[in-house]
Amino acid sequence: MKKYWRCFVCCDIHYGVKPPEICPTCLVKNAYVEVSSEEAERIMRPTKTSMTRAEFRQAIERFAEKNEFQVCSDETKVETLFNGMFANEQNHGLKYCPCRLHTKDFAEDLKLVCPCNFIVHETYKGKEDGECWCGLFVRRKK
Amino acid sequence: MSKLIMFHAKECPHCKAMMPHVDRLEKEEKINFEKLEVWHDEKNADLMRSYRPVIAPKCGGQLRTPTFFSPDTSAVLCGEVPYEKLKEWALSQG
Repeated sequence: MKKYWRCFVCCDIHYGVKPPEICPTCLVKNAYVEVSSEEAERIMRPTKTSMTRAEFRQAIERFAEKNEFQVCSDETKVETLFNGMFANEQNHGLKYCPCRLHTKDFAEDLKLVCPCNFIVHETYKGKEDGECWCGLFVRRKK
Repeated sequence: MSKLIMFHAKECPHCKAMMPHVDRLEKEEKINFEKLEVWHDEKNADLMRSYRPVIAPKCGGQLRTPTFFSPDTSAVLCGEVPYEKLKEWALSQG
């Protein structure tokens, strides 16, 4: 049966029948101990960032620059979406998409954290004018 | 006329875009939507989540905003749509 294992040196989490003999992150030998799924989830749970709006803007610009999409050019819309994401982080813990409601199923809700994996969504995939669910990212014009 | 709900979110641009359509529909067709904000009101959020098995399959598997919903007929319309489409959907709920 698969279990959760935690490296007691660097807190790396491994899920499997057996733990790795050598931790792939800190390279310490025989460092894994078994932990409960609750503890594993607590360690893996993303935490609030201390990112300012300007830093977040920079981060998503960098994320978009090497890709086929860009940040929406409508600044008012971006401002609205940022208001939503930062309010969601404040009130609900993470920068959830302001255009979809979280379900309270943590694994499911991680899919709503911005930037989400929108390239597989119906609003983007295969569409010339594709955009993410909320419209923060839009396909770059050719 | 069956009860119609609009689940919306305060910072959702699609909801903002749909509001004038909703206002026009209410005025011209005398249809009333119960507008429930879901990101800042936990009670409304829980209500939307309670309809997840009905709403999500019709909205790309997720609880998107805006979602127009008729609890009586379980009819769902989600996302930003033209005025005529919203009108047709609302009037067909009887």
